[in-house]
Amino acid sequence: MALHDVSLHVAAGEVIGLLGPNGAGKTTLVSIVAGIRRPDAGSVRVGGIDVLRKAQAAQELIGFAPQDTGVYPTLSVRDNLRFFAGLAGLRGARLRAEIDAVADALSLDPLLDRRVSQLSGGERRRLHTAIALVHRPRLVLLDEPTTGADVRTRAEILRFVRTLADEGSAVVYSTHYLQEVEELDARVVFIDRGRVVASGDVAELVRRYGSSALRLSFEQVVPSSVQLDGAVVDGATVLIPTQDPEALVAQLVPRLGAEVAGLRAIEVVRPSLESVFLSITGRQYGDEPVGSPA
Amino acid sequence: MMSTRRIGVLVAHELRLTRRSVDAVLVLVAFPIITIAFLKPAIRPALVQSGHPHANGAEHVVPGQTVMSAFYLVSLITFSFFTEHSWATWDRLRASQATSLEIVLGKTLPRLVLGIVQFALLLGAGVLVFGLTIRGNALALAPLIVAFAACLVLLGVAVTALCRSAQQANAIGYGGMVLFGALGGAFVPISVLPAWARTLAPVTPTYWAMRGLRSVILDGRGVAAVVAPTGVLLGMAVLFAVVALRRLRFDEAKVGWA
Repeated sequence: MALHDVSLHVAAGEVIGLLGPNGAGKTTLVSIVAGIRRPDAGSVRVGGIDVLRKAQAAQELIGFAPQDTGVYPTLSVRDNLRFFAGLAGLRGARLRAEIDAVADALSLDPLLDRRVSQLSGGERRRLHTAIALVHRPRLVLLDEPTTGADVRTRAEILRFVRTLADEGSAVVYSTHYLQEVEELDARVVFIDRGRVVASGDVAELVRRYGSSALRLSFEQVVPSSVQLDGAVVDGATVLIPTQDPEALVAQLVPRLGAEVAGLRAIEVVRPSLESVFLSITGRQYGDEPVGSPA
Repeated sequence: MMSTRRIGVLVAHELRLTRRSVDAVLVLVAFPIITIAFLKPAIRPALVQSGHPHANGAEHVVPGQTVMSAFYLVSLITFSFFTEHSWATWDRLRASQATSLEIVLGKTLPRLVLGIVQFALLLGAGVLVFGLTIRGNALALAPLIVAFAACLVLLGVAVTALCRSAQQANAIGYGGMVLFGALGGAFVPISVLPAWARTLAPVTPTYWAMRGLRSVILDGRGVAAVVAPTGVLLGMAVLFAVVALRRLRFDEAKVGWA
């Protein structure tokens, strides 16, 4: 996905939640900042270092966990961590201490001497994240870190990200799960189709753009009687912005007549990041159930 | 700026990754010993006929099978790159502080040493088990072996650069082993090959390695006899390095093993 006019600044101790549906351009942006993809134009600075000109120097400051789980399955957890910590310049007692610390934070300590091929998917995901953090980088880039993660893994990653920020790291947390950004209390940057469409803290965005909405799900198609102005139809679901969802339910259900038999669910969407996205783009957020990680 | 410390970390990592894999030991050492055992008597008449009445066959079969199996270094190099793509560790490696050159050195240096050790082991086994006599100065073989191993590992990097998928690289690795082995006179003496094959043979690294090895082992010659083959092998190594430098794109999405 090509990026256009994307500009953002992350301060030490700050978490930025890079939000956007699949294919919005989040991975492209994170990869450019990590120094593994070159933009056609523009500049990226990390700690004052130009990533495009001095990638190696900038990468000393960066901890990057790509979207796909990247670990060495034939090595132990400890050897995976040792390798990347060694490349980052750690050695001796400091290297061992940092491995122990990150393993403890992500509950990997009982698994340190186990081969990665014997780990569960969630355990691998935690190791994948731990590798990015073992050298205590000043800038942490996490690209969809909880994709495919179980509930425990997700909770531990979110908690540790918050801890890192509290200790002074700048964190860019790319995700398409809105709920995670709210949990992290992150500053939000919405990306859609390669552009930043909104940014700010959650409360500010919700205050500025958010409104309630009503989501109706039907068995097959959305009847025309509920396709009001501003309604967004996605398959058998319609999302209708409204200031008074309860009144709208009372108004719409009688209007359905016999078609009410095909109505499967009614959901009130309170002002949230989801409704912010709807207001800004005129589209429903993502293809998957919003706020419900796999 | 290149760091010997990081290269050391990368080399140690490659050694950890390969310590449990038995394929290198099998292909580089075990299989050649087996083939040497049954090819030795078959090759002896060809050597006798070509003017070496005291030859027992080992003078060709031991270096020949060693040279042929050493070609597996090409596959080992390509595997080491493509498995990074299979494991999704490639981007993570690129995002580390290791430079592109350090990553390449980390993958090639252990295999270069492995190639040299393979020659030492098989020539040693040839002498101890198969009655191989090195008539010339055995030390003269050292630069030749180093040049041949360097040529193969750099060919491996060039093949990696030119291939998009592990399957393509695999086909070239194994195909090259058989084709260059046969054409270059490693399988049977070049004197028994047809004229067209003898004409083509010098384009293969195998030919030059075999020419130097036979000069010292069979003809009893010294350092002077390996200068030209070593030079040609180093030239080929430079050529492969240039191809690798021009074509190896670290940001290229390659397809690893499924």
